[in-house]
Amino acid sequence: MNPSNPPQAAEYGGDEVSAIVLDPGYSTTRAGFAGEDAPKSLIPTYYGKYNADGQEKLVFGDDVFVTPRPGLSIHNPIGKDGIVEDWDMAEKVWEHSFMSRLTGTKAGNPFQNGLNDVSADELPTEMEVESDEKPLSDSPLLMTEPGWNPAKAREKTIEIAMEKWDTPAFYLARTGVLAAFAAGKASALVIDIGASNISVTPIHDGMILKRGVQHSPLGGDYISSQIKAIFKANSPQPITITPHYLISSKSAVEAGQPPQAKYKTFATDKAPDASYRALLEERTLSEFKECVVQVWPGPTRLSAPSPTGVSNEDMARTTPGRPFEFPDGYNQVFGVDRFRAVESLFDAKAAIPDPDSSFPPPTPAQTIPELVKASLAGVDVDLRPHLLANVVVTGGSSLLYGFTDRLNHELMQIFPGPRVRVTASGNTYERRFGSWIGGSILASLGTFHQMWISKKEYEEHGPNIVEKRCK
Amino acid sequence: MAAADVRDMLDLPAEGQARPHKKQKVVEKRPEGITRELYALLGERAPPIAINENKYKGRPKWMNKLRVRPWSMAPFTNNARSDGLVLNHWQRKHESARPPVPAPEPAPAESQMEVDKPKEEEKEDVPKLPEQEYAFAKYNVKPRLPRRYTDDEYTRHLTSDDWSREETDYLVDLVTDFDIRWVLIADRYDYQPRMDTKPDSNALVPAKHHRTMEQLKARYYNIAATMLSIEHPPSEMSSAEFELHEKMLKFDPDRERDRKELAALQLNRTADEVREEAMLLEELKRITSNEQNFITERRELYSRLEVPISVGNTTMYQSSAGLSQLLQTLLQADKSKKRRSILGDGAIPSPAGQTPSTAGGLGRAETPVTQAANKKGSITSKEPNQMVRTLTSAEEARYGVQHHERVSAGVQFRSDRAQRLTQAKSNVQTQKLANALSELEIPVRLFMPTERVCKDFEKLIQSVNMLLDARKVSEKVESEIRVLEAAKMERERKSREAAGISGPSADPEHPHVKKETEDGDTGLLGHSTAPQTTQGNGVQQGDGNHKRSASVLSGVSDKSNKRQRR
Repeated sequence: MNPSNPPQAAEYGGDEVSAIVLDPGYSTTRAGFAGEDAPKSLIPTYYGKYNADGQEKLVFGDDVFVTPRPGLSIHNPIGKDGIVEDWDMAEKVWEHSFMSRLTGTKAGNPFQNGLNDVSADELPTEMEVESDEKPLSDSPLLMTEPGWNPAKAREKTIEIAMEKWDTPAFYLARTGVLAAFAAGKASALVIDIGASNISVTPIHDGMILKRGVQHSPLGGDYISSQIKAIFKANSPQPITITPHYLISSKSAVEAGQPPQAKYKTFATDKAPDASYRALLEERTLSEFKECVVQVWPGPTRLSAPSPTGVSNEDMARTTPGRPFEFPDGYNQVFGVDRFRAVESLFDAKAAIPDPDSSFPPPTPAQTIPELVKASLAGVDVDLRPHLLANVVVTGGSSLLYGFTDRLNHELMQIFPGPRVRVTASGNTYERRFGSWIGGSILASLGTFHQMWISKKEYEEHGPNIVEKRCK
Repeated sequence: MAAADVRDMLDLPAEGQARPHKKQKVVEKRPEGITRELYALLGERAPPIAINENKYKGRPKWMNKLRVRPWSMAPFTNNARSDGLVLNHWQRKHESARPPVPAPEPAPAESQMEVDKPKEEEKEDVPKLPEQEYAFAKYNVKPRLPRRYTDDEYTRHLTSDDWSREETDYLVDLVTDFDIRWVLIADRYDYQPRMDTKPDSNALVPAKHHRTMEQLKARYYNIAATMLSIEHPPSEMSSAEFELHEKMLKFDPDRERDRKELAALQLNRTADEVREEAMLLEELKRITSNEQNFITERRELYSRLEVPISVGNTTMYQSSAGLSQLLQTLLQADKSKKRRSILGDGAIPSPAGQTPSTAGGLGRAETPVTQAANKKGSITSKEPNQMVRTLTSAEEARYGVQHHERVSAGVQFRSDRAQRLTQAKSNVQTQKLANALSELEIPVRLFMPTERVCKDFEKLIQSVNMLLDARKVSEKVESEIRVLEAAKMERERKSREAAGISGPSADPEHPHVKKETEDGDTGLLGHSTAPQTTQGNGVQQGDGNHKRSASVLSGVSDKSNKRQRR
């Protein structure tokens, strides 16, 4: 088969209605057209707020990272548990996600849109006419939500979509279901390791089993806090992260030597808020997570003795360390510490205590193995072996080196009887945007178009219809 | 040479046509984008890297003449929806003005359904296309559910102490919503009894009554079965309906619950238990495979036992050496079987005792019985004898049935008995017997020691012995005669000498003696131990005797030979 020819529509049952898929997360918001393989628009959910000329101004998208404006403070409309808290701002962030890249100003007839004309007279008037329109008036919208989203939040979501954005059709799907679809499964146990939450969602026939949904806050941000605790207790000297915007120049230093850099200083009235610094520190930390942090591969825990008698920690010490250079030039090789940062995802006792951290020490019930156990306890016995044979791993934090191996070992230890099979895409995009890709598949299926909640239905039944239709 | 060898080893056809083909000069086509002169400089061998640029291969020229097939964003409605939502998708625009370009190659359609196409082309002449049904609407299928009960039906058939009407309604709604997917129904089942209907019983009813999937199933199946039987009484149901009805009626929630408890136990085994189970399973596998082996071995044994007794050549077992060899091999086979310990309890019967009883293809179970019968001997063996019909003498002879007055213990061979007859008490006598037999051309060891041959052989030996005895007596008498005659001659000579007559009377003596010996020989069967007066005569006589006696006895030996052959 010629790869340049797309498959026939009848082969995959696709029928594209130019729907938009919006997958809002805690850390990033993904938006794109259904039927594509990756979201076209990827923006941070964080937004900036500052005062200029006596007016409050907002910064969205990647722009928040760029300029350290005076008094710029960073906020997130979504709460730590993944549920929207600030609806007004959430609406604006989401709107930005598709307005900036996907819909924007509407393309008119090419004969009249001005691109082919020399005369620029008509252009401004036309633009003004279009700006009256609501942003999504001709695109159905598929949005995602976590499995534990309360009914109120769901109703609020459809309200925004229908009334503020004027979408002709709307649907609200669970991230877990979509991630399972992206992995090609209708029934699965989805383990989603996100930025603020990790969640375990059992899916049966494309629907979540509510009694089995489990989530805990040991996500990527928690790992960051653990790394910070490690930095604080670092042996030659505690490491402080200085974000790039505070460095004007630096020179190379030997490993473990204090940094030699010139720092930028801001006057107190010109300096951005502390939350801005925290956001940029977080960027460095995520780089650290990508380059250094590693999950102890198992099969036993890091604190447990290995079968040879040597403790696993000593074994980890013998492995070569990984170097990392901070923005200020300080660099160090990280040995066993790089395993300890994430060990508490599996073993609550291995958490590194840090009194300054905003995260309370994790309880054993919050670790991934316990979440899986609790989740399976909430579903029917007959279903459990099937779910264990279809474990889908998704979420950006699951890209930690060695994560799936360890998860596999842990699950096999808890459930030695049934067959455990962990499905995790090797493609980074598919892992990070699992739920968006699933939404893209779902919204481009011909058979799905009967499931949209249309504007007419919304007007008839009110926002409560989302509870009935999006089960 | 080496190539030929390799070809031979690989079974390739002999080189014939391949050779000249190879020698043909391969003229490579000059790739485009290189001048002829530059290409000539490269020589015969092309460089390993491509030196020509990859160029975009445009569409073939003939395609430029084709008209671009227009597509348009077309609105459509979905019949599976009730609200008439209009969505837009790209669709091939229909051209009514001119016939479409015959392009069989399907367009890289994204929103165009293949299903739609033939319809479009059929209705070519119709200027405006009628509204087509949405292709995916047909996938909107719902399971067939029994009719919803009416109030009257509910009060008459379906009232239950455990289930209120409201909760039953809730359950049936949920079943309809989730298309009888019980996992989901049980997961979402969250019935809150309405307080306003029963304000007084508020305290009595537990705040949250958790229902298990089994309870829900039991209730729903009860409702569905009742509704089914209201619609069609069980006597009028089709077989499928009746089966469904039966199945729903027989649903046992307790049993289902027990099953699930067991399943949970099975799922939550510890690693040790799993290991143990795996070990036991391995053991079981081993045992079953052993049993399988045992069965196949036994079947093999059966087939061997059921083979008819060989009627082939048995000459190699005629001699005792051959027999003992056979015995040895049988013993060897027995031992090796035992060593494999397949039939460790010594269930292998000796082939001699086994063959007659199982030759009829009887089952394995019979063998011990027949064995026991053989061991017990006459007591049990009489019973079958009574049942056997009595044979006439001719039949007895035919089947070789014999009755012995006295049977000595142990196995005897007829040929051995015959052999024993040829052994006399003295060696000389034995020698004589052997000589007599060899003169008759009868081998010492009989070729075919059948009953009758043995009997005849016995008679023969007896008569030979008698003759030998007779000859012995005659010889004695003759020697006495000779002594007496010699004494008489001595006396006559003395008297003649006394009378003066000598010599010539020796001649007439000879014929007399000869005559006498001839007479004696005809009587005797035997040997050249004929009376001899002189050496030379004796030898001649012996030869003559030989010939004559052989001719005389030839009739006898022929007869015996014939018998033997029979």
